[in-house]
Parts: sequence; C-alpha cells; structure tokens
Amino acid sequence: MSAVAAKPQAGGAMNPTAMGVGVVLLLIILALCWYVSPGAGLMALVGVIVGGVLIGFGTHFVPVGGAPAAMGQAPGIATGVAMLAAGAGLAGLFGGAWAAEQGLLIATLTGGVGGGLMMAITCMMVNFVYVFGMGIPSASGKVAKDPITGDTQAEFKSQGTEGHGLPFVSFVGGVTGGFLGGAGGTIIYLELLSLYETTLPATMKMLPAQVMPIAVAAAGIFAVGLFLVNAVLTAYNITGTIEGPHDPKFKRWPRAIVASAVASALCGFLAILIVAM
Amino acid sequence: MEQIVFGIGITALTGALATIAGSAEDTESNIGSQGDPNSQVQLAPQMGFVHRIFNKAVAGEPPAYGLWCALGAGLAWAFMAMQVNAVLAIVLGCVLAVFVQGVYATTAYLGRTASLAKFGQPVYVDVLKSMTSVTMAHAFIAIFCVVTLCHLINSALGHPFPLPLLGLIWGIALGAAGSATGNPYYGKERQYQNQKFGAGVPISASGNIVRYAEAGERNSLDNGWFTAKIGGSASGVCFGLIVFLEIWRTVLFEQVSAGWGAIVIGILMILVFTVIDRYIEVWARKNYGPYTEVKEASS
Repeated sequence: MSAVAAKPQAGGAMNPTAMGVGVVLLLIILALCWYVSPGAGLMALVGVIVGGVLIGFGTHFVPVGGAPAAMGQAPGIATGVAMLAAGAGLAGLFGGAWAAEQGLLIATLTGGVGGGLMMAITCMMVNFVYVFGMGIPSASGKVAKDPITGDTQAEFKSQGTEGHGLPFVSFVGGVTGGFLGGAGGTIIYLELLSLYETTLPATMKMLPAQVMPIAVAAAGIFAVGLFLVNAVLTAYNITGTIEGPHDPKFKRWPRAIVASAVASALCGFLAILIVAM
Repeated sequence: MEQIVFGIGITALTGALATIAGSAEDTESNIGSQGDPNSQVQLAPQMGFVHRIFNKAVAGEPPAYGLWCALGAGLAWAFMAMQVNAVLAIVLGCVLAVFVQGVYATTAYLGRTASLAKFGQPVYVDVLKSMTSVTMAHAFIAIFCVVTLCHLINSALGHPFPLPLLGLIWGIALGAAGSATGNPYYGKERQYQNQKFGAGVPISASGNIVRYAEAGERNSLDNGWFTAKIGGSASGVCFGLIVFLEIWRTVLFEQVSAGWGAIVIGILMILVFTVIDRYIEVWARKNYGPYTEVKEASS
C-alpha cells in the first residue's frame, strides 16, 4: 500500500498479531531468565518489567507539543516527549535513589512524587510564560471542553492555530506522567541494586562494602538507560506529540504497554546476565 | 541540628546554582538556536527568507545538556581522583566539556546551513566566529553550575550516585526544564515579533521569521539579549525551584515518620503549584477574554 492510500488512522490501529508476538517474546525472555537465574534474577526482571511498563504508560500522560508548541501553534510543552518524560522521571529517580534505604514502598513513592513535582513546576512555569510573557491563554485543540474543569476551549484558540498553552487537564496529565515515570525508574533502580548487592561480592570476589559504589553506579546507569528506551518507544507510539490523557492518541497505550514490557524484559535480561553468567 | 542547618545551606546554594544554570542554558540555546524553534530557522530559507540567525540544533536540549554535563562531571571526577583540588577539577572538566560543545556548535552550524545552499542560504563565517564563542561562554556557566551542584549533592549531602551519573541526570533535567519554559518565548515572541501579540503564530506564517533589527540584519545575539529578560529568567526560576524543592524536602523531611514526611510535603507542594497554575489559567481567560464569540460546546 502506498503512503497516499494508507488510512489516516492507521497509526492508532491495534495489531493483534504483533501484540501476540510481543507477549510470546516476553514469555520467552522470562523463561530464559528463569533458566539462568531462577530466584533473585527472575524477581529483579519482573521488577524491571513493571518499572518499564509504568514509564511507558506514564509517558502517554505528558503533554508535549514539540516544535509547533514553541510557536504557540499547538498546545503542550515545547520540547520532545521522550526528553521531557526522561527529565521528570530522572528527577524522580534522583529522589527515589536517595530514599533507597527506607524500603521499596517509600522509595518508589518518593521517586514518583519527585517526578510529579518536577512536572508540576515545569507545567506551571510554561503557563506563566504563555500568559504573562506572551499574553496567550490556554486552549486545547482536541476537546471542546476541559474534561476536569469544564472550561470551553474553542473560543480561546487564536486564529490559524490548533490551540496553545496547557489547559488544566494537560497539567494534571503532566503531573501524573511525572509521578508514574519517577516511580517506574525508581523500581528498576531498586530491583537491580538489590540484585547487584547480593551477587556482585561473589562474582567480583570483593567485600559487600567494596562493591557498593559499583552496584549503585551500574543500577543507576541501567535505570537511566531503561528510562530512555521506554520513553522513546512511547514517543513513537504517539508519533511525537500528545496533549495529555484527553488526546485521542492516548488510547494507543495498550500497544505501548506490550512494547515497553518486551523492551524492558530484554534490556533487564542483559542487566541480569552481567552478574548471572 | 547542626547537620540540618548545614543541609539547608547546601540546599540554598544548589538552588541558586540551578537558577543561574537554567537561565544560562536557555540563553545559550536561544543564541545558538538549538531548541524546537530552530525548526523555523531551518525552514525560513526554504520559504525564501534568507537570514543571519545561528543554526545549531545539535540535538534536543535535554540530551545535549545530558552529554555536556555528564562529560564535565566525569572529567571533574577523574581529575579529583588524580588528587586535583575540587574547584580546579570542576573548572577544568567544564572547560573541556565546553570545547566539545563548541565543536558540536561549529559542525552543526556549518552542516545545517550548508544543507540549505540550494535555497540560497549562505554560510556566514562572521556569524560563526562571533556567535560560537558566546554560546560556549553561556554553556560554560550552565555546565559549571550543574557540575558544582552535583558535586555538592554528592559530597556534602551524601547522594549515592557517582558524580558523572548525577551530571547526566541533572543535565537532562536542565535541558527539559529550560527548553519547556524558554522555547515558546524564543519561538513565538522573538522569532515572530512581526505577528500579533497575545496570539499564537498562524500556521500559514511558518518560516516568515523576523530577519531585520533596528539597524541592519538581526542576529542571534539580539535574540539572546531579548529572551534573557523573560524566557531565560523563567527557565532559571523553573530549574532552580525543581532542584531546590526536591533537595529541600529530602533534607528536612526525609527522617520524619520513616520517610513519609518527604512524600507528604512533596504532594502538598504539587497541590500548591496546581492551585497557582489554575489561578494563572483562569486569570488569563478572564483578563484576555476569548478570541471569538463563545459557542455552546458540542461535547
């Protein structure tokens, strides 16, 4: 089929065969991990997959308008979706790693709140610049009314644009996305850290205290890497821009969940192999 | 108690450094024309508008700053491992990272502009000579501030991540905050100063960027001067708030109720920013009013 003949909605269509292949791949990687490292390794991989899925799902919430948003031609934040999600999630990971000694729940929530806080400040400042720097009110191009506040949108769109700024639902989406990303990144970090803490002393024939800096650095680098993998996958899924949870593109999230799970499983398996082999 | 006071002092210092870093990052990216608005700088000659604006979209601002800050932090960390004084090590690391930024800026300008030759866009050597050093100077300030705050977080506050990893994380966060806040002001307010104030740029006007200044042709230094006033300041406040509040809630409240204190304070701060955001949104709707008559929404 030529590009001209392709359906306009093709980007949003679900492909059951591809989803099925993804699930089978996921099961194969889990089985391989069970074969290589049945106890701690498999647990760590499940944690990595959960964290990766949270990042992939959370990125769908982040309102990103890309280049058109920088000219006030489209709503959203004027930067790349993967990069903004990474910025928020990594700020969350920073907080979560700091709270690692306080347990999985506390650290994960601390990481999530860190990501949410970063997005709350950023979204607020974006609206500040639009309103007080450029004199432009917020308006969505995808919905007639804000689903949360009920504010009408169409009459606040300036001529020749698809909207601009961040309506309240986009702000809430940004905070939600930051929270999920920060929590997901922290889970990946904590799972890999606990695996490395237990296995690296024997692998490297060193004392536990001596391997700690290596374990922290390796887990942190893998968490950052997995973050970027999942955020970029989602950026492809939403073809670069999205307004937030009210955008029709948001409905594509099941496809990204499967893709994120498979990609996280493969990357996580490699992260486990460095200590399991 | 003494440790908490020390922690608060370090937190304030990191917040101040982050504010300067955010401001310098946005001004650097505007002088170099690196963020999303550079799409218009690249598009303009294709629409027949030849210009003298710098054009160095090396990458998105977050990965670019992630690279430069990780490089600066990594080199500083290596120098410190060689027993070099921390201040000197950070300065040397950042200088070397800035040279990499300068190389990227030069090759990006030459490569991107040369690709527009078929549209009649010349490569201006004087633009390259006068702008590159200015972007490098601003980049040095941004990278130095980020590496220094990472060093403080690592050595004074005891964050477990090594310095290069902290540089990568805060470099990406710096680029994300700076591009999110500063890009619209450069993209809409400066590049399209010929369009109506208080409205987005009509899609039909894409590429018709302002090319003339009060005297002669506009260049990117003019853009840096203009955007530093609001876009740069707002980016600085944004990144400064992110760094300061994230560390402040941890330093002061991490030990309260076995970690729940920092979480609750974080949620409260999110709610405060939510209220401020909603106030700004409603204020704009009331004071600027609709562009067209209010219609009954269909959904």
